[in-house]
Amino acid sequence: MGIQEQYRTDAANLLDSGAVKLVIGYGEGSTPERRRPIFIRSAEEVGRLVLDANCIANLSAYLVPEGLLSDGKSVAVFLKPDGIRSVNILAAEAQLNPEQVVILGFNIDAGLANPLPGRKANEFAPLLASLKSAGLSTDLQREADRLEQMTAVERFEYWKEQFSKCIKCYACRQVCPMCYCRRCIVDVNQPQWVNTSSHTLGNFEWNIIRAYHLAGRCVACGGCDRACPVNIPLRLLNHRMSKEALDTFDHFAGESADQKPVLATFRQDDPETFIL
Amino acid sequence: MTRILLHSRVDDCLSAWRSAGFRVLAPSKRNDLTRFDEVHAASDMALDLVLPERTIKDHFFPQTEPLLNYRIKKQAIESDEMLPPQQKRIFFGVRPCDASGLEIDDALFGWDYKDRYWFSRRENSVIITIACTRADDFCMCTSVQLSPDSTKGSDVMLHPLKDGRGWRVVTLTDRGKELAETIASMLQEDASETAPAASVPVKFDLDKVTSWLADPSNFESHLWKEVSQRCIGCGSCTFLCPTCHCFDIQDEGDTYSGIRRKNWDSCSFAMFTMHTSGHNPRNTQSTRWRQRIMHKFNYYQGKFGVNSCSGCGRCTRQCPVDMGITETLQEITNLPR
Repeated sequence: MGIQEQYRTDAANLLDSGAVKLVIGYGEGSTPERRRPIFIRSAEEVGRLVLDANCIANLSAYLVPEGLLSDGKSVAVFLKPDGIRSVNILAAEAQLNPEQVVILGFNIDAGLANPLPGRKANEFAPLLASLKSAGLSTDLQREADRLEQMTAVERFEYWKEQFSKCIKCYACRQVCPMCYCRRCIVDVNQPQWVNTSSHTLGNFEWNIIRAYHLAGRCVACGGCDRACPVNIPLRLLNHRMSKEALDTFDHFAGESADQKPVLATFRQDDPETFIL
Repeated sequence: MTRILLHSRVDDCLSAWRSAGFRVLAPSKRNDLTRFDEVHAASDMALDLVLPERTIKDHFFPQTEPLLNYRIKKQAIESDEMLPPQQKRIFFGVRPCDASGLEIDDALFGWDYKDRYWFSRRENSVIITIACTRADDFCMCTSVQLSPDSTKGSDVMLHPLKDGRGWRVVTLTDRGKELAETIASMLQEDASETAPAASVPVKFDLDKVTSWLADPSNFESHLWKEVSQRCIGCGSCTFLCPTCHCFDIQDEGDTYSGIRRKNWDSCSFAMFTMHTSGHNPRNTQSTRWRQRIMHKFNYYQGKFGVNSCSGCGRCTRQCPVDMGITETLQEITNLPR
């Protein structure tokens, strides 16, 4: 049995037994390559679930809307390792109870979706530890290296060009599992803390706020980057922040559900090289 | 008389137009983004695109626009109005859907008050449209009673020649005729055959959709929740739409001086309808998505007699969760009668 058939059967069993009230997965999209998030509530509908190498979106953001998990019931969700890390962070930040999240885990390797053993986030700990020891990388490594070589002025110019394209549609925020604030700081308007204008300064304000709030929290799912309708390479910013968190604090975001949020905790042996 | 413009003469046209004081904008790719930008040579243009990612709306209704600056003094408030520059512009290589979008929005911006910012730019712009000979999976102009060679909103229409040497030139308005005169010496008489327009399949039944939307009993239909479940509530579909036109007025500055700006806003955002009291009449994404569809295919139709959609398909093409107008209107089309 292929993984798609296997997971359809698993989803049907989870729903039939009442173990979960909802399965969040992927369905066919508007083109043969596209996959879209779908929400399955009964075993009769599991035939709509698709699982293949085109299923790249991190669906964990659908777990956090207010009220979904407040009845104590469980939800099953298709997740790649990046999504499992997101669940761990959301648990560590008290946004959900990982016991309520049943994971239908998979990874994509050589154009194929493969099952990952485990059902609850903590069962994937060995896998996540191996990802941490493999180190951070980005598919934009050459661009990341090029940015590192630049002077601060050149780098500022680079981001100025990129941010000048921003239209403040906030797709990067909305698609991100880590952006769960009920009211984002840019939407706080009594008074308006951050200007709403999408001019160069306003775009800098937004993109820097977004990047900083993700420091030590981004799992590199690439959702923001794919969602951006004006093609700003946001994953380069996120990657740089993740590298800083790993190198300085040995922090690999979402390694476990009891990991302490790196910027909200203090350890006596924290390096303080940045304090003058 | 049938006249054609050869690709090889575009650079000459650009020089002639620039010396006549026009700024010429065309689709181009810069910084990994395709949009209308000023061009200085044919080689700057990306005319082979089905559509640029951004619409020409941006150049008539910018994402942020200063309206006035103000200074609050002890006894008075001083302000100076800020108007857009009076610059003659040519938009070369517009697609019929984007050109139609401008005409659709003329109704809104000229309704009870003539928006000077929109119309001063409209009156100073000439739209040269190229009929589409290619479409992609998301194009849907034929579903909203337009077509890949629709002339709506255009001053000049260029029909690509079958042999690929250039375009047949058809002038549609006085402004278009005047412009064609400025390059008369670069056009030649030639009756070469034009390439067939792109074939764009009809994706939904517009009549059925509009009558379903007009029926008040469907306002609370369960369909709204179902189709919008995956919507993440970003504004990309509205900001990339050639006809979405909502804006917000914001004052930017300190206690004593600042700039009043008109900024794009989106019905997708929860903040869009948030009241000062904290009450939000559209407090779920499904009610916000319903508003977007109703506005385009029911309210706008009722007020101005046209739908507020020109079928470009950008909403689905660039949606992070593969959800746009087409998908919703298909769901409505597929409902049992």
